[in-house]
Amino acid sequence: MNITSFILRRLWQMLPTLFGVMLLVFLLFNWVGGDPAYILAGKVSDPALIASIRKQLGVDQSYFVQFWIFTKQVFTFDLGRSWSTNELVSHVLMTRVGPTLTLLVPVVLIETIIAVGCAVLVAYVRGTLTDRIVMMSCTVAMSISFLVYIIVFQWLFGFKLGWFPVQGWTDSFWKNLLYYAPLPVILAILVDVAPSLRLYRSFILDEMSQDYVRTARAKGLSENRVMLKHVLRNATIPIITNVAAGLPATLVGLFLLEFFFSIPGLGREMVVAVSNSDFPVVKAITVYLAVLTMVINLLVDVMYRWLDPRVSFR
Amino acid sequence: MTRNLICKCCCVLLILFALSIQAAPLKVLRTSIIAAESGFDPQRISDLYSTDICWQIFDTVLGYDYLARPAKLIPNIVRELPVAEDGGRVYTFRVIPGIYFADDPAFKGKKRELVAKDLEYSIRRLRDPALNSPYSWLFENKIVGLDDLVEASKRKGKMDYDTPVKGLQLPDRYTLRITLKSPDYNFLYAFAMPQSAPVAREVIEAYADDTMAHPVGTGPFKLAEWVRKSKIVLVRNPNFRGAVLDTRYADMNNPWDREVVKSIGGKKLPLLDRVEIYPIEEEQPRYLAFLNKEFDVMDTLNQIYAAQVMQHGVVAPNIAKQGIRVFQEVEPEIIFDEFNMEDPVVGGYDAQHVALRRAIIMGHNRSQEAQVIFRNFALLEQSPIPPGVVGYDPTFNASSQQDYNPERAKALLDMFGYIDRDGDGYREQPDGSPLVITYLNRTSLQYTKQAELWTKSMKDIGIKLVNRQVQFTDMLRDEQAGKFMLAVSTWIADYPDAQNFLQLLYGPNTGSANRTRFKLPAYDRLYEEALKLPDSPERNRLYREMCRLVLAYAPWRFGVHRAYLHLVQPWVHGFDRNPISHDQYLYMDIDVAAQQAAIKH
Repeated sequence: MNITSFILRRLWQMLPTLFGVMLLVFLLFNWVGGDPAYILAGKVSDPALIASIRKQLGVDQSYFVQFWIFTKQVFTFDLGRSWSTNELVSHVLMTRVGPTLTLLVPVVLIETIIAVGCAVLVAYVRGTLTDRIVMMSCTVAMSISFLVYIIVFQWLFGFKLGWFPVQGWTDSFWKNLLYYAPLPVILAILVDVAPSLRLYRSFILDEMSQDYVRTARAKGLSENRVMLKHVLRNATIPIITNVAAGLPATLVGLFLLEFFFSIPGLGREMVVAVSNSDFPVVKAITVYLAVLTMVINLLVDVMYRWLDPRVSFR
Repeated sequence: MTRNLICKCCCVLLILFALSIQAAPLKVLRTSIIAAESGFDPQRISDLYSTDICWQIFDTVLGYDYLARPAKLIPNIVRELPVAEDGGRVYTFRVIPGIYFADDPAFKGKKRELVAKDLEYSIRRLRDPALNSPYSWLFENKIVGLDDLVEASKRKGKMDYDTPVKGLQLPDRYTLRITLKSPDYNFLYAFAMPQSAPVAREVIEAYADDTMAHPVGTGPFKLAEWVRKSKIVLVRNPNFRGAVLDTRYADMNNPWDREVVKSIGGKKLPLLDRVEIYPIEEEQPRYLAFLNKEFDVMDTLNQIYAAQVMQHGVVAPNIAKQGIRVFQEVEPEIIFDEFNMEDPVVGGYDAQHVALRRAIIMGHNRSQEAQVIFRNFALLEQSPIPPGVVGYDPTFNASSQQDYNPERAKALLDMFGYIDRDGDGYREQPDGSPLVITYLNRTSLQYTKQAELWTKSMKDIGIKLVNRQVQFTDMLRDEQAGKFMLAVSTWIADYPDAQNFLQLLYGPNTGSANRTRFKLPAYDRLYEEALKLPDSPERNRLYREMCRLVLAYAPWRFGVHRAYLHLVQPWVHGFDRNPISHDQYLYMDIDVAAQQAAIKH
C-alpha cells in the first residue's frame, strides 16, 4: 500500500473514532455536566425563566436533535457562541491555542531531548551508582504530586528568589516565551521527564541486548557509533510512540499550569467552561483536541516508515 | 513691540504647559479579580466581577456615598433623589443635562447626550424576554403596563421598545416618571445597581451580536482593551463630567476615611488614568504577585491567606513592614443552612417539626464553624439581616435558639419522641421510621468541611446525616424544585435594605427567591405591610417581628457573616470599600513615584 492510500484509509478510520469521541463528550456533558440555565438565570430564578433560557440554548430539544446539531457544528466548524460570555467559540479556540502551544512545544521538545539523552547515558552505565541514583531520583520525582511542584516552585523561584514571574502573560510572543513561559515549562518538564527517562532507558536496554549490537561491537565499531547509530535509531520508534501517546496527558498537565500561572490558554478556558457548564466551549476544545491527537498519531505512523524502511503500510 | 513680546511669552508658557502635561507619568492601578468576567452588558450580566467592571464604565442612575456607613443612597445622574409620590407609587427622575456617553462609532461622530429615554430603554431592556436577563426580577410585577408589554412581546417573539407604557412616562427630554402597581419604598434601590444603568439604544443595536464586548457608558472609565478572562484595561473616559468627593459623611475617627479625605478631598475625579485588571482564579499566584508589587490592590483575600496576614487582629509583621495596609470589612451577606419547609421529615409548622429543626440547629456547632472553617474571619449571625443594611438591629440576639447547645437539643428530641428505638445509636422519628437528614451542598473544599462538621455534630446528638455533595448547577436545580431536606445557602445584598434578605422567606416568592418554601401568613402580612412603609421605626418594628418569626419557626440555621481582608500597597490613596457600591476606582489615586521606586526595588 502506498503512503497516499494509507493516509486516506487512516483518515477514513478516524471518522468512527471522532463519532465515538463526540458521543462520549455529549453523553458525559448531558449526564454529569449540569444544566447551564441555572447559572445563567442568576440569583433569583423561576421555572419560567429557566425554561426560557433552556429554549434559547436549545437544551430543551431531544437528545437526538441536540446531537445532530452538535455533529453539524463539528463538521462545519461553526460551533456557535459561548453560553456564558457570548464569545464566538471559533474565536475562543483561535485566541487560546497560541498560549497553549507556547508551552506545549518547548515542553515536548526539551523533555524528549533530556529524557532520551539521560536514558542513553544511564543505559550505557547500567548497574552503576550513577544509574541507581538517577533511577531513584526518577522514582522520587514521580511520587510527588504535580500540584506540590507547582506550589513550591512558584513560591520558591517566582516569589522568594525572584528568578521568574509568579504569573502573567502578554501580547508579545517572545516575552511570553522567554519571560513568562520558562517556569511553567520547567515544571512540566520536571514532572514529565522522570517517567519518560525510565521508559526510554528500558527501550534502549532492550535494544542493547539485541544480537545486532553484539555483531556491531564484534565488527569493532566504536561505542558511540553503536549507541547513536544502531541502538538509538532502533529505539526511536517506541520513543516517538510514547511522545505521541503522552501528548494528551501533557496537555492535561498544562491545563493545571495555565490555571496556576494565569496563562490564557485552552486549559484555563476549559476549566472555566466546565465550571460554568459552558457546553459549546467544552465540546469544541475536547473534540478538536481529539482530532489533533488522531492527526498526530497518523503523522507518527508515517514517520515510522521514514525511520525504519522495513516498516510497511498496511 | 510689547504686544509681540507678550504673545511670544504666552506661546512659550503654553508650550511649557503642554510639555509638562505630556511629561506627567500615567497613573496606572493594577489589580486582580478572583474569577473570570463574563462581559460588560449591564442588562445581561449577573456575576460579581463583571458587575464590578460595569460600575466603572456605566453610571448608575442613583449611587451610594463613598464614605457613608451604612450605605447611603445618593443621586448620581439625576438632579435629586426621587421623592416617593402618591404613597410610594410614583417616582420622578430628572436627569442632569450635559452628561455624555463615551465616544463610539455607533454615534456616527456626534456627541451623544444621556436623556431620560435611555433610562426608560434600559428598564424595558432588562425585561426583554429575548435577553433572559438575570436581574429582570428588579422590575417584574412592579411598573404599570410593563408586564403586559412583556407578555405581548413573548407572544410576538420580539420586545416592543416603542409602544408607550403607562407606567413609564417621558414628559420631557430629561424626565422619566415611573408609576408602580403598588407602593414600594425600596424601589429606588434598583436604580443604584449597574444592571439598570442606562445604555444607548444605538450602541446595543449596532453591536447586537456581542453587546458583552462593547460597553459604552457615561461612567468615569471606558474599556480600552479586553483579552477575555485574562486582562481588562480601563482608561479614563474623556467625556466624563467629573466628580468631587462628598466628605459630609466621612467618619474622621476612622483612619481610612481620614486618608481618603486628605488624599483626594477637593480634587476633580477620577485621578487614575488607567486601571488594569487581571482575573486570577488561584489564590497563591494572586497573593504572591501582590507581595511582589505586581498589583497595587488585592481585593478579598481568602481565609487561608487572611490568617497569614492578620493574626489575632494584628497585621503580621512581614506585611506591616512593607507598609501594606489591611482593610477589614464584614460584607452585607449571610451564609446559612435552609430547611425545606415542604419536606415531610424536617418541614412543617407544627410543634414537633419545629422542635426537630431547633434541635438540629442547636446540635450544630457554629462557633467551631466560625473558628475552623472561616478561621475566625466571621461573625455569628443573629438574624437574617446582616450588619450594614437598613433594618439591621444590633440588639437582636438569636443565641438562645441558634447557638450550640447539644444538651438542649437532645432534650428537645427526647421530648418530641425522636428517640433511638433500635439501639443503633441513631434516633428514629416518633412513628418509628428512620430519621435521616440529607445535607445538600456543592463540591468545594469549604463545603466538604461544612458537611464534615454537620455530620459530626449530628452524630453527637444521635441524628444520622447524609452528605449530598453535587455540582453547583445541580444544587440550584434541586433547591428550586424543592428536592432537598437541608441545604447550604448564601445571599449577598443587592441593595442595603433588610427587605432584600427578608424576601427570601416571603411565601409568594416560593420557587424563586424563597427556596426554603417558607409560607407563613403572619410573616407574609408583615412583609407586605413593610413594603408600604418608608424607612422608619415602624418599618423596623415590622422587620424585627419578622426576624422573631424566623427564629420561632426555625426555617434557617443562621451561619456567619464573613469578614474579608483587602490589601493595599502604601502608594495607593483614596482606598475605601463601600459595602454595596464597587465604584472605588473613581476615588483612588496612585503616587506614581513611590510605585515606580517600589517596582524597581
